[in-house]
Amino acid sequence: MSNRQSGGPNKGGNRHEVSKSIAAAATAAVLGTGAFAQDIAVIAGSVEDAFMDKIKKGVDDATHMVEANGGSVQYLRTQNYENFGPDLVTLINQAVAQGVDGIAIPIWVPDAQIPALNAAREQGIVIMQYNSGLPVKDDISAINYFGSDEYAAGFGGGKYLAENGATHILCHIQVPGAINLTERCRGVTDGAAEAGAKVTVLETPPNLDGDVTGTAEALKAEFIGDQSIDAMVSCADFGAAAGANAVEQTGLDIMVSAFDFSPATLDRIKAGNQTMAIDQQPYLQGFLATSMLFAHLKFGTEISTDPVLTGPAIVDASNVDAVVAGAALGAR
Amino acid sequence: MPTQSRTAARRSSLGALARRPETGSLIGFVVVFAFFAALGGPVFMGAPGWSSWLNIAAEVGIIALPVGLLMISGEFDISVGSIVPASSMMTAMLAGHYDLPALVAICGGLAVGLAVGFVNGLLVTRTTIPSLIVTIGVMFAVMGLTLGFAVLIKGSTSVSYVPTPMAKALLGQFINNMFNVAILWWLGFVAVFFCVLHISPIGNWIFAIGGDRESARNAGIPTSRVTIGLFMASGFCAAFVGVVQVMTYQQAQVAGGQSFIFNSIMCVVIGGVLLTGGSGSILGILLGTMTFAVVNQGVFFAALDPNVGPIIVGALLLAAVLSNDTFRTLALSAAAKKA
Repeated sequence: MSNRQSGGPNKGGNRHEVSKSIAAAATAAVLGTGAFAQDIAVIAGSVEDAFMDKIKKGVDDATHMVEANGGSVQYLRTQNYENFGPDLVTLINQAVAQGVDGIAIPIWVPDAQIPALNAAREQGIVIMQYNSGLPVKDDISAINYFGSDEYAAGFGGGKYLAENGATHILCHIQVPGAINLTERCRGVTDGAAEAGAKVTVLETPPNLDGDVTGTAEALKAEFIGDQSIDAMVSCADFGAAAGANAVEQTGLDIMVSAFDFSPATLDRIKAGNQTMAIDQQPYLQGFLATSMLFAHLKFGTEISTDPVLTGPAIVDASNVDAVVAGAALGAR
Repeated sequence: MPTQSRTAARRSSLGALARRPETGSLIGFVVVFAFFAALGGPVFMGAPGWSSWLNIAAEVGIIALPVGLLMISGEFDISVGSIVPASSMMTAMLAGHYDLPALVAICGGLAVGLAVGFVNGLLVTRTTIPSLIVTIGVMFAVMGLTLGFAVLIKGSTSVSYVPTPMAKALLGQFINNMFNVAILWWLGFVAVFFCVLHISPIGNWIFAIGGDRESARNAGIPTSRVTIGLFMASGFCAAFVGVVQVMTYQQAQVAGGQSFIFNSIMCVVIGGVLLTGGSGSILGILLGTMTFAVVNQGVFFAALDPNVGPIIVGALLLAAVLSNDTFRTLALSAAAKKA
């Protein structure tokens, strides 16, 4: 993993998309901290979000490497998603106040986060982006991005379903209007179209978010209402539980799939109740964002691939056993 | 004398019906059902439609019953939102992680609800803190504990569990492939709560406490015991739904019960229960729950924009409170005329 990142001599040379000001800021950060310990903050989403636990596993593993080299990692999470933008800004300011040298952070709420991160960068703090917000990467002048591209992930998923026989796919969005979810379904639509299938997008109202029973019944109504639907992909993991239940209730032959997954997803894939899950490998995002931010600060490394996509990685019956093994260790 | 009053009752039966507290809820249900039946067509009127809204109604309905009783006695219970995931996590953890028998796991899950309810009741009766605040506090505490233990024990916020055939059949199967067995449990709970509120003396105590707690206590009603009992009932029912969800979807997650907080209160209020306590009925809560569920599912069968659902529910809520006031004024003025 480390053999591809010894790009010190290239610094500022072949990365044409990085503006001079960042290079200056990054250099200032490196010079400013010099031989002292490099402290970084990793900011993540809600403590209630199972997905974030896998990111944390990656951050924890990278922390060993950071600490072995005399640095430190602070892992900061929001309590929930109720007041998400302001909560994220609070965490950014907290990290700045504690004098960190770098911040690794996903961009979920650009309007709130971009000004706070630019203020942090003006104080010489280096920003590493992961998990979310690839389209606004340049606005915060992040040094790199580890995550999936929502559109590419959707494209891969839509293409997979169509190539496996789907002709009409239902794409379920659990939070209406969420840009990343809309991008996923746009990708599904284009990916499916390439293999000759059509896609209908279903946005369930926000009061059904997290409500498996309500979502299952909503999907059931859609499946019965339009019986040409022969596959579904949900933007939420619980949407697959709901979809599998709706399929069981209606007895229709519909392929169930979803973005991201939980232990129960793997059970369903093994049992044949779910066709596949589109993974973005959060472990890699946490691990790479943390270790590469630190390596950049401490050793001046650069990665010539930018952005670095950790997904889509399709989990289906063919590879589910390996994923189960990784899940048992908390990394998948 | 009895004959006379019966005749009088028959003569003014229409007036009496109009003054019953459930009338507003009944009208609401009929209007909403007719609306979606017209738009949803035969599919909504067939097994898929009925099962769809009944499955929703069963879960929220089981919680709405004790929440309604608490509101009649003048108390709120917000903590149900965190008891649902806490109990499902406990059940999945005991059975799926520690491999204990399903019965032990189910009892463990239900015990979580009873224990949280007991703490709620104790705090509400022993302190002067309003129940709204107490149960919000307890909700956050339970949420934190659920999360903490899940991560500590399992290293994850999600636990999967494949139930035994017996547990699945009793708590998580779909009859005729569509009707969740929880619907039958819900009807069972309705019967039990009907007896408690409208037949047993406890029912009168609950109304009395909601009307005026101080006078109720002076009249010799064990107000604290009734209140603690009601909170334990709502904890138990919320925990029951948590167990049902594990058996149905074979997984437990630390978040996900939040929707039950407002949904259960809405069912109760649409059902004609007075927010300030002292008035309400099981039939009303039942109708309120059915109305809520029909609106929630009807939009999908009627091919309306799904966002129309919450708008209708919100409008119904306001209409319910307004009509309750109207019917109550009617009832009071009629009673005054008789006197």
